[in-house]
Amino acid sequence: MRRFGQSFTAIFFIILSLALLIFGRSQNTVVEQVRAQIFELFVPAIMVVDIPREATEGLSGWVSRIAIVYSDNEFLREENAKLKQQLITSTEIIIDNIRLKNLLKIKDGTLTTITASRIVSDSNSPFFKSMLINSGRNEGVKKGHAVVNEEGVIGRIINVANKSARVLLLNDINSRIPVKFSKTGVNIILAGNNSPLLRIDFMPTDERVAVGDQILTSGMGGIYPPDLPVGYVSQISDLGEIKVQPSVNLNRLNYVSVIEYEIASFPQLNTTNDETLPKPDAERRP
Amino acid sequence: MINMSPTTEKSYGLKVVLPSLSILVLMIIMVLPYKSSLISDIMPFLTLIGVYYWSVFKPRMLPVVVVFILGVLQDILLGSPIGLMPLLLIVVQQFVFFQGRQFLERDFIFNWVVFVMLVMGYGLLYWAITSLYYKTLLAYLDILGQIFLTIAFYPIITWILGLIRKVIK
Repeated sequence: MRRFGQSFTAIFFIILSLALLIFGRSQNTVVEQVRAQIFELFVPAIMVVDIPREATEGLSGWVSRIAIVYSDNEFLREENAKLKQQLITSTEIIIDNIRLKNLLKIKDGTLTTITASRIVSDSNSPFFKSMLINSGRNEGVKKGHAVVNEEGVIGRIINVANKSARVLLLNDINSRIPVKFSKTGVNIILAGNNSPLLRIDFMPTDERVAVGDQILTSGMGGIYPPDLPVGYVSQISDLGEIKVQPSVNLNRLNYVSVIEYEIASFPQLNTTNDETLPKPDAERRP
Repeated sequence: MINMSPTTEKSYGLKVVLPSLSILVLMIIMVLPYKSSLISDIMPFLTLIGVYYWSVFKPRMLPVVVVFILGVLQDILLGSPIGLMPLLLIVVQQFVFFQGRQFLERDFIFNWVVFVMLVMGYGLLYWAITSLYYKTLLAYLDILGQIFLTIAFYPIITWILGLIRKVIK
């Protein structure tokens, strides 16, 4: 009798699990709100359990950094000289660009850095590619904000609690990013497939691509600002399938920036020059 | 099945939560940011080891409702569809009960061999349900890696859980 009762309970919970799977698919917003509230409770526990791993990593990182400091120093001196030269050229181009945009009355979108956050947890699953960060609604993070670092695009916010948020990485199977080839400006969609390399959707048949071609955000869709590095073409198969290596190493993330991009409205007639000036708290993209 | 009187259960006190707590810690270990693509893609199913171990050795301390809650929590931390992990973990627990846990309790090697078969089934089911959920055939190579690593981690994790079991006794 007791065994029958146990089996009955197990069957009930199996059916409940299946119902949650189906319900979660159709009523996603309700499930996501509950999920956000619960995962927030776990953030302190995760940080405590993470202390030994972080300490070990910090120590090994320190040892390896000491070991390569001399060679790094020489390399950085050479790179610094090259970058100084490039800075002069870039400044001239930026000034020209602003002048031309003012002449054509082109408005750029505004880009605001919402917050810098630490990665708290990682899905560590071949099927789900997301991360948890320690900033949330209290810091101004909203669903749909872009997540980047100095190397390029990482993903976007899909779920927000008060002090934490979940980031869908660009290699997740649900990720789609509007991008363009930097050389030609041809717009395409970059899709994740749970593997380290991304794939290209909606590739024009007459478009020619070479290994090493840079891929940037197109700015379409309003989530990602234009011209952020996303990756480069790393493989082209005989059947024409193109694989893209992300510019960011998604497995080596410590800190990320959450940014908000407000798409510019179309230029209107009789606008004054003052309207083209950047907002005081916002960074204006050239 | 162990026949425990209410007084025996009461004598465990707060130790009753240790099996669930140990699975919770294993769950958190699974979602730490390891900064390694190798670990990230083939993280062993540590919670599976926990549920299997406690279902064999202390089933009364891991009722199905607790397995369900732990599964839901894992889905929340992992970012996976809610309902997936409770479904898989409850199936594992019921498999242990169906096999007769007293039989599994006797010998470590035999226990491990049964676990090898179990983890293969678990991996296959995990892949099949997730593929069905996303309506696409997902890559199975990483799952194979997860299965092998779970089998390799089994003796270490069960040794640690064994220490906790001694505390409970």
